[in-house]
Amino acid sequence: DSTAGTSSDCQPCPCPGGTSCAVVPKTKEVVCTNCPLGTTGKRCELCDDGYFGDPLGENGAPRQCKLCECNNNIDPNAVGNCDRLTGECLKCIYNTGGFYCDRCRDGFFGSALATTPELKCRACNCNPYGTVKGKTTCSGLTGQCECLPNVTERDCSACVPGFYNLLSGRGCEGCNCNAIGSTN
Amino acid sequence: GPTPRPDVVPLPSGTHLLFAQSGKIEHVPLEGNNMMKSDAKALLHIPDKVIIGLAYDCVDKFVYWTDISGPSISRASISGGEPTTIVKTDLGSPEGIAIDYLGRNIFWTDSVLNKIEVSKLDGSNRRVLFDTDLENPRGIVADAAKGNLYWTDWNRVAPKIETSYLDGTNRRILVKDDLALPNGLTVDPYSSMLCWVDAGTKRMECMNPNQPGRRKIVEGIQYPFDVTSYGKNLYYTDWKRDAVVAVDRTISKENDSFQPHKRSRIYGITTAYSQCPQGQNYCAVN
Repeated sequence: DSTAGTSSDCQPCPCPGGTSCAVVPKTKEVVCTNCPLGTTGKRCELCDDGYFGDPLGENGAPRQCKLCECNNNIDPNAVGNCDRLTGECLKCIYNTGGFYCDRCRDGFFGSALATTPELKCRACNCNPYGTVKGKTTCSGLTGQCECLPNVTERDCSACVPGFYNLLSGRGCEGCNCNAIGSTN
Repeated sequence: GPTPRPDVVPLPSGTHLLFAQSGKIEHVPLEGNNMMKSDAKALLHIPDKVIIGLAYDCVDKFVYWTDISGPSISRASISGGEPTTIVKTDLGSPEGIAIDYLGRNIFWTDSVLNKIEVSKLDGSNRRVLFDTDLENPRGIVADAAKGNLYWTDWNRVAPKIETSYLDGTNRRILVKDDLALPNGLTVDPYSSMLCWVDAGTKRMECMNPNQPGRRKIVEGIQYPFDVTSYGKNLYYTDWKRDAVVAVDRTISKENDSFQPHKRSRIYGITTAYSQCPQGQNYCAVN
């Protein structure tokens, strides 16, 4: 308050790098108006959308606001791509998931870190007849679905040799062919 | 029929632009077709929120906004008063918000749940309007007098602008060709002209929703996010310029811009009309 006529009328803004501030007339609250790039908040204590960190160290050691780190598996046109404090990626694309969009999400397999989207994560597409309890998830790395007894292939879509009736949904049954009367 | 010349529609005085920048909503008074930039000031400061979409109710003079950090949907009187949260459950990433000031409903897009929802202005009577064929729904706007809803979906594989009646019936795709990242759209309440901004094609375009054909207003713009109309001007927010840019749509020319002191992305923008345009729709009498 510059009109009171005392030496403490004007005080420095409590903002990083001596940036400007303003007083909210109704509440008399001091708010920084020109926070450094990537920061926001009453005291520039938060990161802007698209950045993460803890610039004033309110939750541990101070961490400068950095752009979301999501392994190129976020879309720059999206908003809210990562958690402003922790950096957890919230909008992974190309069927990726995990804290840093660094894994394939459930039901997909491949390498989330591959350079082109086509090489990233593919659907498991487990055969519902050949898979344990009709599960739709597979090994994130190899894509192997969890097959019923005597069922084979990555997607559990075939019987092992000497077995038949995948469609039973209980695994494949032995052919029980007579060794003498069969061709192989 | 012929559209009325937008520059001859008498503009109500005391109208403002409202736009969202990080955790605050700023306002710039409009006088005729000019932004009164020196009178710009913060309307609301909510630094712990990330405000994306804005809508204005010209009847009660309240501003409504979506916040992706909550996530939540809130409102406050523009003549001051505490913000009130009206929706806070079952939200993923609420982005665009629209108001049917005649039917007294709000509509919003959610880019995580991939839904468009509707509720009364206080958040009650909430219901899902659409939950199919949505990938990245973003901008949404209601033409209250005509009873139409419009929204954008910036799905990179198949971007589109869709429309339906305000009750969700008669949904159809309005535009799908020659789009890339349609982020925001607006309807001029006087002419019913639909205009949108596309951050992929870098264009602002307009069309009469009842007629074939569309018109490029400006090309080579930088990174538009949202757009609103007032008189003959369209005002869009730009992520690269961190500014609100005014474009005269009658002569297809940028004529002014406003860059707030703080450099950061500007998201939603809306026009706070000092009085409502005339009209009535079927939702208002139900």
